[in-house]
Amino acid sequence: MLEEISFIVGGPQGSGIETSAVVLTYAFARAGYGVLVDREYFSNIKGRHSYALFRVSSKRVPKALKYLTNMLVALDAETVFTHYKSLKDGGILVYDVGISLKKFDAIPSIEDELRSRLAKEFKDLGLDGTVESLANYLRSRKNVFVVGLDYSKVIEEFSKEASLKPHQASMYLSSIPTAAVTTLTGLRESALSFAYMRRFNDPKVVEENIKLSKVVANRVRRVYDFPPLLKNSEIGFNEVLVVSGNDVVAMGKVVGGLRYQAYYPITPAADESFTLETYSRFKVGDEYATVVVLQTEDEIAAITSAIGAALAGVRAATATSGPGFSLMVEGLGWAGMNEVPVVITYYQRGGPSTGLPTRGSQTDLLFTLFASHGEFPRIVIASGDHEEAFKDSIEIMNLTEKYQVPGIHLLDKFLANSLMTLTPPELSELRVDRGVVTEGGDNYLRFDMSKGPVSPRAFLGSNVIMYYTGDEHNEVGHISEDPINRINMYTKRMVKLELMSKEIPEDFLVRLYGDLDADVLLIGWGYVKGVALEVMDELSRGGDISCAYLHLRGFSPFPSRFVAEVLKAFEGKNVVALEHSYLAQLSKVIAMNTGFMIRKEIVKFTGRPMLVDEVLQALIKIVEGVSNREVLSLGE
Amino acid sequence: MGSSQVNYRSGLWIDWCPGCGNYGIVAAVYQAFAELKLRPNEVVVVSGIGCSGKTPHFINANGVHTLHGRAIPFATGIKLANPHLKVVVHVGDGDLLGIGSAHFVALGRRNLDVKVIMHDNGVYGLTKGQASPTLKLGVKTKALPNANIQDAINPIALAIASGYTFVARSYAMNTQHLKEVLKKALEHKGAAFIDVLQPCVTFNDVYTVEYYNKRVYVLEEGWDPVVREGTEDEVRNKMLNALIKSMEWEDRIPIGVFYINPFKSTLEERLDQRFEGAYLKKPPAKQSISYEGKPLLSRDMFKEVFSRFFVEVEK
Ligand SMILES: Cc1ncc(C[n+]2csc(CCOP(=O)(O)OP(=O)(O)O)c2C)c(N)n1
Ligand code: SF4
Ligand SMILES: [Mg+2]
Repeated sequence: MLEEISFIVGGPQGSGIETSAVVLTYAFARAGYGVLVDREYFSNIKGRHSYALFRVSSKRVPKALKYLTNMLVALDAETVFTHYKSLKDGGILVYDVGISLKKFDAIPSIEDELRSRLAKEFKDLGLDGTVESLANYLRSRKNVFVVGLDYSKVIEEFSKEASLKPHQASMYLSSIPTAAVTTLTGLRESALSFAYMRRFNDPKVVEENIKLSKVVANRVRRVYDFPPLLKNSEIGFNEVLVVSGNDVVAMGKVVGGLRYQAYYPITPAADESFTLETYSRFKVGDEYATVVVLQTEDEIAAITSAIGAALAGVRAATATSGPGFSLMVEGLGWAGMNEVPVVITYYQRGGPSTGLPTRGSQTDLLFTLFASHGEFPRIVIASGDHEEAFKDSIEIMNLTEKYQVPGIHLLDKFLANSLMTLTPPELSELRVDRGVVTEGGDNYLRFDMSKGPVSPRAFLGSNVIMYYTGDEHNEVGHISEDPINRINMYTKRMVKLELMSKEIPEDFLVRLYGDLDADVLLIGWGYVKGVALEVMDELSRGGDISCAYLHLRGFSPFPSRFVAEVLKAFEGKNVVALEHSYLAQLSKVIAMNTGFMIRKEIVKFTGRPMLVDEVLQALIKIVEGVSNREVLSLGE
Repeated sequence: MGSSQVNYRSGLWIDWCPGCGNYGIVAAVYQAFAELKLRPNEVVVVSGIGCSGKTPHFINANGVHTLHGRAIPFATGIKLANPHLKVVVHVGDGDLLGIGSAHFVALGRRNLDVKVIMHDNGVYGLTKGQASPTLKLGVKTKALPNANIQDAINPIALAIASGYTFVARSYAMNTQHLKEVLKKALEHKGAAFIDVLQPCVTFNDVYTVEYYNKRVYVLEEGWDPVVREGTEDEVRNKMLNALIKSMEWEDRIPIGVFYINPFKSTLEERLDQRFEGAYLKKPPAKQSISYEGKPLLSRDMFKEVFSRFFVEVEK
């Protein structure tokens, strides 16, 4: 029995794999395990390969995923072909013997590039390209325990048990992998029923699924007669949230008082707006709070209408990804010029252009820092995990309102779509800071320069009138091209940079994990946080190399002093940037702000998440002096 | 802020060319606002970019001078955040029908209570006279190197097809007429569009004051643009009449209201229905979002709202 396991459940998109992932997460959560799941899918609705990569632990909540898995559970042949290499020696393969004779080169949904790689691999291994030959190879050469089930027989038996017509019973096909996982890991039935109930809210569906899982369990036990894989959980949770990154951001926005969100549909941002809309009316005391969620005609309308709502005094945001943000750039500049606190929640995906629409990246750091013509201050923060994402989605509303600047909250597809078990957030620590707000009064000046860089803010509809323009303007808000006014007004805006740097706590913007006298320093931001911390842990368990991790959460303002100090302490040692990009953009930003050059990096731009095992290997190579730059490639 | 003797002039020096039709438009706005006794702090005048885009600065009311083509979405956010505000949009023809046409269409679909006044001068005034989307094919205005090789949009027809529930045309040099149309638009509930023929004395030497004075006539006797029962048949007939009327140009150019449909729900009403009456009662701008510097949601409330995400661990 293991303390933790990794496994893959895969099948064609639209066949229920997404549901399996959700149901299994609920089930493991119910039984008290720590769970992290990455969901990988093509830009496609039905038919292409999709899968969920799980890590489940009885000791803690995993922070990152591993490449090597204990189990591969396949709904179809493509899953076996695509992922066979990630099975550990001694792992378990669950597949449908009904497709044993299927050959990899007869599967049209496999992309040509993978098909030709497989052709070469199978040739080298002397396999004939069928699922069966691959299963035999895994069994004999990799010690893999092969659990071959006949899925059509399972369905047949289930249709009898449940008195369902064959076509009705076959709709439960995708519950077979779910049942195989629960059987092999030893999850109790009550956890599974809970999960189905939560997912479908229909006792009938729960009942059928439990019947099916019994059929599967009996058949699995006929061939696999060992104790379950996974130890009982010792974490001691009472309750957890099962949430994706999209979910936590929507929750944060609700808690933080967002009242207007405009969006144009785009992966991987749109789910957030759906979640927000689902919870857009809720009771507070004896009144209802309402959040207007508007699907606009394009991203230009999304950002500009959010700005309009902000002018009227509402916390307003939009959520988007790269292509959408590209369209928002002019609006961002208007918000900068008019000192409008508007929030852009930005989920990075693979670019350029539509790039890898459903895969992750961290390639838009430089873009968000510099987007839009002219100069103006902005807040740019990035979240490293679900917990940070929840808090940051609130904090960015505070910061943008306090300093009256636009703000960008950077996230990515990895976080957006990862499901995890999260300890419910402590709400009492949270704050709402709306900055200097006024009803107006005599001689109100919207851009009053006498009160420092942040002028008291009145909302449209208060007792006074005010003017806004994207042109340079005077204190009233009327157009002015006067050179002296230009200097004064421009400076008023720009000195907020210093003010923000001075006031926003360093320990929010950056954090050092580990010790200043460690041998190696990893530097990262966003979703590499988890993998960096896991690598740090693994190294410390190994004992030879001590590693620290510098995690950046704020980029504008940039915590230059703190970062420079840490880098100084590591001068002459290995300092390695970790980023889902080609350029390691973080290194450029650090050089720009501190003068320190980071010349070593581990990067990945396949759109798949960094995995603990590959980062560890790459880091060891760099520490051993074999290379300065490692480009990661694991994961399908 | 009192409204009885409000002066709606902002007092700023108006920097349009002498003789520009925009003077007539802003004069009509002053009068319409005064006659309706609108409170300057409850009005928001939103504009795009162009000569027309400067309009808000000349009016004593809230003014939001936005981006080229984007006045409507800015106005949309303002209105949805605070539906109690009167939101009036001034846009150029290039602004609205060129770069901003997606927003023009979207506002019609939403029937949000926003009034759109298009300064229709056939040219891009502020960039010195290029052809705008209302300039007809083959026409060569002063600044164009060659005659126009793109054809004109029919803005009235587009507005009707998009779902605007108040569609009219007026003429900048007939301030009285424009004022009356404006008042009707301001009193209408829903998205309103007014195409205002606006001579540009500097760049449009074809659609001049003389040109329009000869052709413009007021829709009156026997012309009934109002949907009165709201039946599908009636709506279709009124729309069709208006569409046919909108094709009149060349020799005679009608001004007046083409179409009014008071029956269609506004976006505010649709939201209010979604929120079971909570939206108009306390729209976003009127809600408080914190209590003593903390979020409104306590841990228990959070759990109640987001119960679907909570999993109690089974021991
Ligand atoms: C995105 C963008 N592109 C181009 C411009 C330059 N520009 C300023 S005004 C204008 C056209 C104005 O024409 P119209 O909308 O008809 O307004 P008018 O000046 O005639 O009132 C253009 C293209 C701009 N401000 N923004
Ligand atoms: S260029 Fe034309 S539209 Fe612009 S101010 Fe002059 S006359 Fe008016
Ligand atoms: Mg024009």
